[in-house]
Amino acid sequence: MKKNGKELFAQASGTVPEGRGAFMAASLEALVERFSLDAASYYEYDEKTGLLRLLLRHASGVSFEHEENLRPLPGSAAARALEGLQAVPAKSPAGCFLYSPFRLDYCDPAGGRGVVPCFGLVRMERSPRRRRFSPAEAAKADAYLRSYLRDYYKAELLSLHRKYDKNVTAITELTEVFATALRVSDSFRHILSGIQTYFGFDRVRLYLIDEKNRKLKGELSADIRGQVKSISYEEIPLEPGAHRFADIVLGKSSGAFMERYKDCVLYMPLAVQGVTIGLLIVDNLLSQQRIEPEELTMLKSFGGQIALAVDNSRLFDKVEELSLYDELTKLPLRRYFNQRFQEEFYRAERFKQPLALVWADIDYFKEVNDTYGHQIGDKVLRETGRVILSNLRKIDFPCRYGGDEIIILLPQASGEEARRLAERLSQELSELRIPVPFSKAKELRVTLSIGVSTFPQDASTTDALLEKADDALYWVKSHGRAGIALYSDMAAAEKEKAAGGGTHAPV
Amino acid sequence: MLIWLLSDYDHRKHLAFKSLLGRFSSAYPETRAEFSVKSRRSMWESLFAHLRDPKRNPMADVVEIPQNWTELFSRLGMLSELASEVKPLEQRRYPDFILKELCRHDESRAWSAPWWLEAPALFYRPQAVRGAVDAPAEQLATWEGFRAALDRVRSPSRRGNFRALSVPGSSGSVSVSDVLPRMWGRRGGLFSDDFNRATFNRDETIGGVEDWLELAVSGKIELFSADRFENGPRPAEDCAFMISSRKLPGAARAGLRILPYPGYPSGGGLTLVYNLAVSSSSREHAAASAFVSWAMEPRNASYFAESFGVFPCLRTVFEDRLREEREAEVYRRLFSAPELMPNIMVYPTAELLLERALWNLSLKITRRDYDREDLLRELIMAQGEADYLLSLY
Repeated sequence: MKKNGKELFAQASGTVPEGRGAFMAASLEALVERFSLDAASYYEYDEKTGLLRLLLRHASGVSFEHEENLRPLPGSAAARALEGLQAVPAKSPAGCFLYSPFRLDYCDPAGGRGVVPCFGLVRMERSPRRRRFSPAEAAKADAYLRSYLRDYYKAELLSLHRKYDKNVTAITELTEVFATALRVSDSFRHILSGIQTYFGFDRVRLYLIDEKNRKLKGELSADIRGQVKSISYEEIPLEPGAHRFADIVLGKSSGAFMERYKDCVLYMPLAVQGVTIGLLIVDNLLSQQRIEPEELTMLKSFGGQIALAVDNSRLFDKVEELSLYDELTKLPLRRYFNQRFQEEFYRAERFKQPLALVWADIDYFKEVNDTYGHQIGDKVLRETGRVILSNLRKIDFPCRYGGDEIIILLPQASGEEARRLAERLSQELSELRIPVPFSKAKELRVTLSIGVSTFPQDASTTDALLEKADDALYWVKSHGRAGIALYSDMAAAEKEKAAGGGTHAPV
Repeated sequence: MLIWLLSDYDHRKHLAFKSLLGRFSSAYPETRAEFSVKSRRSMWESLFAHLRDPKRNPMADVVEIPQNWTELFSRLGMLSELASEVKPLEQRRYPDFILKELCRHDESRAWSAPWWLEAPALFYRPQAVRGAVDAPAEQLATWEGFRAALDRVRSPSRRGNFRALSVPGSSGSVSVSDVLPRMWGRRGGLFSDDFNRATFNRDETIGGVEDWLELAVSGKIELFSADRFENGPRPAEDCAFMISSRKLPGAARAGLRILPYPGYPSGGGLTLVYNLAVSSSSREHAAASAFVSWAMEPRNASYFAESFGVFPCLRTVFEDRLREEREAEVYRRLFSAPELMPNIMVYPTAELLLERALWNLSLKITRRDYDREDLLRELIMAQGEADYLLSLY
């Protein structure tokens, strides 16, 4: 016995076809085969516009999707079928037709309790030369189609079930991503990648508010392929009317433009305890595809968590910054330096590159504190830190080693290069005039004593390198301060002195 | 191996492909090949669905795409480089106007292989336009001349279904492919020449769209045609003019003559090119490339294109077809200055924006509450979004 399309399909795939397209293609093919049709077409009816949208057709052994929006003639067989929800046969010079309408409700893909109606008709066709549809045949074909639609309803439920599974997975995994996001540098990346993995928008962008400068600053953008890039070049003044992003953050009107594209763009202000900290934008602008309502709902429900994760990351970085950096001079602290020193030393050793260490001490700093008070002392330290930071290369690493002692690591720098830097720092600091109110002097000058040691000439271990720089510094201090000494020069001078050649200050 | 083919209003294309695939299967019996036909919208959605979730939405091994989708989907990493695998591409055996757009940024690489092309032209029946047009070639060369002729054409009394103009490829509403020839004919367009800004709002662009909308407003073309639903496409005998990018079957029998699309100052016109591409995620890459190479063989390319009245892209067969063509002179003019859809990343999206605007306007026209302000508003909105897209991509 010949099997019908429905049986064939079920046998081939082991299940009912997923998706309306695949299901209807199978049903049209089965109809054509079972009722000896020349063609069958699947239309959906839009009651608002009164248009029939052709979506699928099967003819001459080929199923094909097609898009055509046409209006049924009032009073025509198709119009009567839609109106009465009953199959209507018709004959015209174009052929014999059977219009079989359907109206089915399927579960709301948004997960709501409601149902989404689907209304349309299937047109079965025979060429004019062939027999017309008898009432019995029409009833049979109509019933056959309806049985298919019942199966479709089941398939729709199955698909919905899978969607729910996916959502539950997304909720679980995304919550984990948000909860474990710590450092700003990678947590923002994780958050955006997480959103892309589960939602797959054309683009997700994160902007954060820079309260100090009243700006909305771009952070990261992740595209549909999950590639994340920095958008730090984007800065939007946080003023009404400056940009629509600013308006959204400030809670102003979204305008007609946003209303039009609300289906494919979601602007989600991120707020923590009622304070807006940024803006998350997801869009399907490139594909111009609608963001499904359930995706919008789900993402919105994540909004609080995302905001919290973003805020946590920023706080974490702030705490880390406080524990690694000196707040006064903005220079890294000793603990951080020790770690970097090991790394830089290892690198210099491995790649046989020079490494210079500059050890500086602010002259008479204790006296400054005792005479003018700690406020002035702090000012001296702040200015010293500023001068140092503004004179270094990116690879150099300064540190407030303790009190008024500052160490600077200069990778790939020789003793002479370190000396030049030390001279520049001394020069710039000596030109500074720090005002001292209520004092005769009115202003204060700052000088540095600096000792320099280098790897590999002066030392072969980290401890030895520190020791040699300290020796050089001590030498400067014992020779009147406000000077610079390279350990190698100092050693040579000491040697010369020991040999009875007199003293010679290295700088 | 699965192939996604773009659907066509002309079913002959689907049948021709089925037959082509049958021949391929005979030539390569070890390769199991299947195909499904997707509408343009569904193809677009399927490709993006694959991008969003490749596991749940696998992509076909071979896809047919409009040539100007190449840049977008290759930049999204979905297409395989074909120049090294498909000989005609490697040897650049395509007309220059196709290659220029295909390899905009990199002449040595190509992410899709041009397959077939078509160009809209004006068909007319001399008997039907008698009395309305004395010298068709001159009078119908301009849009104004053509438009005036449409007004003058009268229905022969015995034909109740007569229409002055028919557009067989219409999807019911006014679409981008309808308005583009007029837009470009007026030297308008969707983007500036350097593609740095959108120009939906330029006078020439608005004028081009308006030219076509006016045909619908004045009833010269019927939107969402009920008659078409009942009786299918109108036969050539029922029309005075037809705008079609295909050579119409039985054109000679129906006494149809052909002229270039009216109002194109360059003498050429819009040329639509369709390509074959291989998915970068294909597990049957060798078979997919073999199919593309095989489809590009002169005999196969020619057979397929001829089956539904279009031209093959391969230079030798394209030129052969032009030589053999009954209306060779007209097609030579059309292809003397062909204008292709720009193959840039945001162009397909810009087309969608315009498509949406045209859909809204078509509905308004049908409801008889269309106003020029509606057109301006729609195009301002679309331009805003296109500009925004340009800034993003």
